[in-house]
Amino acid sequence: MAAPMELSCWGGDWGLPSLHPQSLTVMAYAKFSGAPLTVNTINKSWRTPKGDLPVLVSEDIVISQPAKILNFLRKRKYNADYDLSAKQGADTLAYVALLEEKLLPALLHTFWIEAENYCSVTKPWFASRIAFPLSLYLPGKMSREALNRILLTKGGPPLYSLTEVEAQIYRDAKECLNLLSKRLGTSQFFFGDTPTTLDAFVFGFLAPIYKVCFPRVHLQEHLKQLPNLCRFCDDILTCYFRLTVSGHSPAGQDTADANLQKLTQLVNKESNLIEKMDDNLRKSPQHPPRKLTTLKLAAGGEESSPMSRLSP
Amino acid sequence: ATLCFQAFLQMCNLPIRVICRANAEYMSPSGKLPFIHVGNQVVSELGPIVQFVKAKGHSLSDGLDEVQKAEMKAYMELVNNMLLTAELYLQWCDDVTVEEITHPRYGSPYPWPLNRILSYQKQWEVRRKMKAIGWAGKTLEQVLEDVDQCCHALSQRLGTQPYFFNKQPTELDALVFGHLFTILTTQLITDELSEKVKNYSNLTAFCRRIEQQYFEGQERDSAAIAARSSKRSLLR
Repeated sequence: MAAPMELSCWGGDWGLPSLHPQSLTVMAYAKFSGAPLTVNTINKSWRTPKGDLPVLVSEDIVISQPAKILNFLRKRKYNADYDLSAKQGADTLAYVALLEEKLLPALLHTFWIEAENYCSVTKPWFASRIAFPLSLYLPGKMSREALNRILLTKGGPPLYSLTEVEAQIYRDAKECLNLLSKRLGTSQFFFGDTPTTLDAFVFGFLAPIYKVCFPRVHLQEHLKQLPNLCRFCDDILTCYFRLTVSGHSPAGQDTADANLQKLTQLVNKESNLIEKMDDNLRKSPQHPPRKLTTLKLAAGGEESSPMSRLSP
Repeated sequence: ATLCFQAFLQMCNLPIRVICRANAEYMSPSGKLPFIHVGNQVVSELGPIVQFVKAKGHSLSDGLDEVQKAEMKAYMELVNNMLLTAELYLQWCDDVTVEEITHPRYGSPYPWPLNRILSYQKQWEVRRKMKAIGWAGKTLEQVLEDVDQCCHALSQRLGTQPYFFNKQPTELDALVFGHLFTILTTQLITDELSEKVKNYSNLTAFCRRIEQQYFEGQERDSAAIAARSSKRSLLR
């Protein structure tokens, strides 16, 4: 009896349902907790978002940040953390803070600030999904916000130049990946066998690094050296998003089949209509059957028929 | 923050002397307080100081395994993320507190108009940072709620143990002690922040225990210096 919930977020590519870490986190959490969300990916429409994505709309309530969206879902009884002890809940909070402090700056840098990546991959991808003329302005704005955030939180003295800040944030990110790998160990999810909020956050941050094909990829290479984290991402993608590792979605093929069926039906209908029209033509008195061979054989009474045949 | 270091160094059994200077921010190599001056070396900020002390042969977290070290780092980030940012917010973004407490205190060593200029500059800097990380849109209630959540998490993690990682104190204990003690003892316009912390009895007991164990050994004077320096730590 819950009101329908709609999530607006950035779309996906390279085998991911979304490229945006926060959107991916919310989508993963919804899958884990079984919340029925309809996902609207931003496309070239004029209904561009007014705030930050992802945005959840339910009846009249609009919620915009991932943490608040997750709280809202939990209050509606879609709770993925039901089996966790209080201590594990506390650990979740701590690890999420670690991700935001150590991994997010490097993620932002790889996407938005590294010049080659930004110009060849990020900007075209985002611009193609936003309506003109906002597509000229919005990617630049997101890039500037990312740079601002990194410089303000990490760039205090003695790190005076951007290259030194970059070196520091990538060192922090690699250390964070190593810590996550050690924490995950050999278990399937971070807290046993069922996925929780922490798994949603980690997946949201790791999957873009893992899957998106950038020209400059040293963080991705580091991640690929941690096989348990790669296995973690692939598991979630195959189990919860029903995507094979190569990126083809069986659900997508179903829709393709459905489209094919509809097309076939339309063609059949049209051919039925054509046959009916043919029958009508044949049965109608103004148009005698066009049997030329019989005309020649028939008596002269049918000589008028060629004339009437030619009339429209 | 000063208190975190004092606690940490006390836990390592290293003797220290605390000095308050008005131009301390400029003396520090990274612009951040506090910093330590050892022989002819000057080191600032918690991370480098911990490594420096480790290189000299004292470390508090050697007894932890890899997973526990990961947890410790995660909790330290949580404290930095939530408590530190909340403290900064309360000092510089809450208009009432700014007017009545922060501006006078921050500018007190300087003559007019330098005191006003410097404190406005610092306020502008802090507000820029808050905006970049998304805290600018938060109301005071939301910030207090976040602090509550953080304290709840710390309280859960501590449970009934004497320290966060059972028998031995670690860097995390020093950090948590520094922040919580500052919150509990500094006077602000409202007591809401310290009330939030006081709700968790095991956290207040933890603070008292560390204070007794590591700070009572000193004389009254140095305790007074510690209290004054803890007040100065709020100016960051």
